[in-house]
Amino acid sequence: MSVQAIARGLPVVQASDVTSAQLTLKADVVIVGSGAGGAVTAYELARQGLDVLVLEAGPYVPSTAFTEDFADSLETLYEDHGSQSNKDGDLLILQGRCVGGSTVVNGCVAFRTPDFILEEWRRDFGLAEMTPATLNPYFERVEKHLSISTNGPHEIARHSQLMMAGAQKLGWSMKPFQRNVRECALTGHCLSGCKTDRKQSMLVTYLPWAAAHGARIHSDTRVSRVLSDNGRVTGVEGEVIDRTGHKVADVRVEAPRVILAAGAVQTPVILQRSELGNAQVGRHFACHPSMYVGARYPEPVYPWRGALLGTYVDEFMHPKDGGFVLEVGGLGVAEMCLITEPGTGKPYIDYMQHARFNAGIVTLIHDHNVGEIRWNGEYKTIDYRLSDQDFPSMMAALTAAVRLHLAAGAEEVFLPATERLAVRRESEIEAMVGQLRNRPQALRMVSYHPQGSCRMGADPANSAVDPHGRLHGVEGLYVADASLLPTSLIVNPQVTVYALANYVADRLLASA
Amino acid sequence: MTRTTTPTPGAARHAAAPVASLSRRRFLRTTLIAGAGVAALAGAGFAWLRRSPVDSLPPGEGIRYLTASEYHLFQHATAVLLPVQGTPLTPLSQVPVVQHIDHMIGLLPGHLRKQVGMGLTLFDNAAVVSGWHGRRFVDLETADAVQYFDDWSHGNTIQKALATLVKRFVYVAYWRDPATWGPVEFDGPVSEKWGLAYLGNAPLPDQQAVSQEAVQ
Ligand SMILES: Cc1cc2nc3c(=O)[nH]c(=O)nc-3n(C[C@H](O)[C@H](O)[C@H](O)COP(=O)(O)OP(=O)(O)OC[C@H]3O[C@@H](n4cnc5c(N)ncnc54)[C@H](O)[C@@H]3O)c2cc1C
Repeated sequence: MSVQAIARGLPVVQASDVTSAQLTLKADVVIVGSGAGGAVTAYELARQGLDVLVLEAGPYVPSTAFTEDFADSLETLYEDHGSQSNKDGDLLILQGRCVGGSTVVNGCVAFRTPDFILEEWRRDFGLAEMTPATLNPYFERVEKHLSISTNGPHEIARHSQLMMAGAQKLGWSMKPFQRNVRECALTGHCLSGCKTDRKQSMLVTYLPWAAAHGARIHSDTRVSRVLSDNGRVTGVEGEVIDRTGHKVADVRVEAPRVILAAGAVQTPVILQRSELGNAQVGRHFACHPSMYVGARYPEPVYPWRGALLGTYVDEFMHPKDGGFVLEVGGLGVAEMCLITEPGTGKPYIDYMQHARFNAGIVTLIHDHNVGEIRWNGEYKTIDYRLSDQDFPSMMAALTAAVRLHLAAGAEEVFLPATERLAVRRESEIEAMVGQLRNRPQALRMVSYHPQGSCRMGADPANSAVDPHGRLHGVEGLYVADASLLPTSLIVNPQVTVYALANYVADRLLASA
Repeated sequence: MTRTTTPTPGAARHAAAPVASLSRRRFLRTTLIAGAGVAALAGAGFAWLRRSPVDSLPPGEGIRYLTASEYHLFQHATAVLLPVQGTPLTPLSQVPVVQHIDHMIGLLPGHLRKQVGMGLTLFDNAAVVSGWHGRRFVDLETADAVQYFDDWSHGNTIQKALATLVKRFVYVAYWRDPATWGPVEFDGPVSEKWGLAYLGNAPLPDQQAVSQEAVQ
């Protein structure tokens, strides 16, 4: 078959293209989800000549249609229109839901899996192949494919510059991020999708490459079940649903191999709905619960201007040093009023009137895998409550973020709580942070990194998927997304997901 | 000038997140065991019957999804939460905040809409007993209403969730409107304004450069 490069856009079968009420398809491999895991496996398998079909629940939104309006983007590009949250309602769990998945809306930060995490995976989960020697070639490949490079000086926006000066005062190590972006235009709108295709998301890389090798992509197609017969996978079934929520068709695909890459929330849901997999499916969910610690500076910072993510503090990354990362992140006005509580009425107006003086730090911790994803017959539930084991790390990360702000010259730092808690000087930090308790609705948390709900491991007693990505006990069924991660990463996960997906694709090819 | 941008379900659901996952049973159970919730329910006999002068007023023009009492609650909350008068921020007369909220509420899925409705009713009526205000939220003077929000923001779980819910709806409805961006120098969308070129898809990887052997 001839390979035809696609310069712009993607050939996608959308709901509006479907004319019959029953769609029946066949493929060598059907891939559920077109995000980080789905796109990479699609390309790697299609280029080896397999007939690949990608089914994506979300819509196909070409970059020309991105609005650079966050509230609007939540509706069109995010899972549950941006409202996905845990059972307690105090943790917003963001995931992309569109062709390209979360990679379309992510912040472009690119980290390899830290060696100490791989060590944990080998030690505790029998993943003997998860060594730097095995994975480095995958990382190199992905980094090359996605133009991953270190932020240059022009990509260090004002907010990052301030924090770098603060970190220097404190003697903390702070580094520029690596990001998957070509010629970043510094719009600051990463989380609404990159309108001019500079972010090297799956939408402009692996998906068009997969399509060039013959992979077929269907959007608006939500898979509900994996079909199997005698412990062997036979295909999937689902529904085509248009953008107004109306069902257009039932879809059924016959395929001897299925790869689930629907993300760490939906992949276990599909398995539970299919009654496939062991009791580990859905368990051990982690998500890097983040806080956005905002502060007011004496000078204008314009946190919405420049590269969204410039620098990070790696001083505390290793668990023995604290096990958290601080990332300097930009944001717009609609987000600002959701994450900080500056007080009611006049103090709020004063805070927003000075919005351009604000800057923020995102905290990431190495959380324990205490959550669980469940399908209750009608809808999914995400049972994740910050564990008492992780609360001290959250508070350590918060304390460090406040210290960094103050060292960087902030006049007032707002704790990410439901009530107004603000710190003006170093001596107040302990007392103020000490007021926080690990209770539902005490903190305002966001997760950008759901993971771990179909753990990879050698022993089915503590994992759902084997070391090659196959669901324990079912032939032909693979998982290739963030669900696989046996423990949380501390760092942003996209590169790990790309590498693992490529690794799983290679194992599938080897067994074919 | 009155602007009428259309808020989206995204913003609506984002605002509703605090109650998004409290099931009805769970919601009531949490309320029942929670301090002020007990007071509110104990006082329900008269609290729910406590009339307000706004009860006889119709909801604003064009309101499709909010009940009359919800409409008045948000009207009052907007005035309390967004005292922009005398500041450079865009006057409320130029931002149809409650109309935006109405639109957002209309886009909520049924189960969530029900929970939001229950939550708003509780928030309004509980003021009769919670904090001993003796009147519903819609009738509180500004200072008392601010106090009510602040008390609830460090109250029990359900109080925190509801205070956050009302604030989020009001704040998102205001700030998502482009009319509010100028005074704070928020740039909004820029790519078209700056005339940025589309780069298109990345070229197919050079298979020579990254050898397959390297990764198998
Ligand atoms: C706002 C945001 C910012 C982020 N920033 C960064 C960052 O800077 N750096 C980084 O490393 N990571 C970041 N991430 C995380 C990173 O993008 C994810 O870890 C990664 O994309 C996960 O890959 P995945 O394949 O598991 O899932 P996804 O990429 O989320 O893809 C899953 C896809 O499956 C689809 N799907 C779900 N259910 C079904 C179904 N039933 N049928 C068919 N399709 C289905 C979804 O619609 C989605 O498109 C960010 C994420 C978000 C949301």
